[in-house]
Amino acid sequence: MNKPEIRVDKIVSDLLRGRRLRLRGGDAEEKAAITAAARLVAARQGSQRMNPAFRKRLESSLEAAPQEPWLTRRGAFGAGFGRWAGVVTGGLIGRAMEPDSQLTPGPPGRLGGELINPKPGRWTDVAALADLVEGQGKRVTAGGVGAYLFRRGDSVNAVSSICSHLPCELSWSSGAGMLNCSCHPVSFTPEGESTNDKYPLPALNAVQVRVTAAGRVEVLGTA
Amino acid sequence: MLQLPMAPRATDIALNELELVYAFIYARVGNRADAEDLTQQVAMKAIPRLREGAPASAIRGYLFATARSVLGGFWSTRLGLSEAELHENLAMAVPPAPPSEERADTVQRILGQLSDNYRRVLELRFLHGYSLKEVAAEMNSTVGAVKVMQLRALRAAAKVKEETT
Repeated sequence: MNKPEIRVDKIVSDLLRGRRLRLRGGDAEEKAAITAAARLVAARQGSQRMNPAFRKRLESSLEAAPQEPWLTRRGAFGAGFGRWAGVVTGGLIGRAMEPDSQLTPGPPGRLGGELINPKPGRWTDVAALADLVEGQGKRVTAGGVGAYLFRRGDSVNAVSSICSHLPCELSWSSGAGMLNCSCHPVSFTPEGESTNDKYPLPALNAVQVRVTAAGRVEVLGTA
Repeated sequence: MLQLPMAPRATDIALNELELVYAFIYARVGNRADAEDLTQQVAMKAIPRLREGAPASAIRGYLFATARSVLGGFWSTRLGLSEAELHENLAMAVPPAPPSEERADTVQRILGQLSDNYRRVLELRFLHGYSLKEVAAEMNSTVGAVKVMQLRALRAAAKVKEETT
């Protein structure tokens, strides 16, 4: 295994030569350095425009693209297509979503909110129950799983820290008692439900959490 | 009888907007090949779903939201992260600020907050295109030491970036 400085320099050298980012699993440890390097290389070159040949190819492929009928994200979920759409388009977060201005109202009720079940998973000690304040969200991480914890007496519930609409980190607003999306003006209750009456977004994914006999709070995250 | 143009207006506008999307993506991946692939993905995902007659502002917002999503998927795939781990890395890939180009003055501001050695190594390597050997000669150091300094400087730059955005 290469030392990290050697590996990162290889990535930097490739970028400086105009090559693709060729990354591998072990590079995740240096993700911050790698993304910083990519931005610096881009900054050196200044704002870029499309190559004319690429623009022409893009135009051609757009003209050949099928004109799909409107399918709302909720419609996809309701039809059970949510995950399938993600697979087809190349990733869970790659699901196509309509812009807010185009959203259409639908029947009320809790939508989405799947249970995050990491495999392999590992219970991670994230806090002492005594440290959690009722009515206040606490952001924790368990491996790759980010979550907000909410205490209710001696029990705790946990929801994903990622918005169900766009893949953006939520922030806890203690004043409003809501989780706010950093990308759009949407918010969620501590139970993970959308607060938007006109267009109830899918609920936040649920995160598995437990309280031990010793009063420690554990979250099921990635191993 | 009056013939309406074949090309939908929203698609025409979106094509021009894709130039901005390309610049936005390029500023984050730093190379043309990946930027082209990702821009193509954005176009393929977004264009067919755009309604006719949508205002340019709505199209732009839609395209950039899609671009953020595509970039998140790009980093998670390239770094071999699982679906759950991907969530952890979205903060890195999804800028909270409105889409804008990575301005040179932003880079200078970030570099300005680094220590002299870190700033110097990044300036020489990235802004002036020096090789490791040239950087080492310039800084009276060794290639091995410059590699280590470069990594530490990039980590520090990423930290400044997180704190200032």
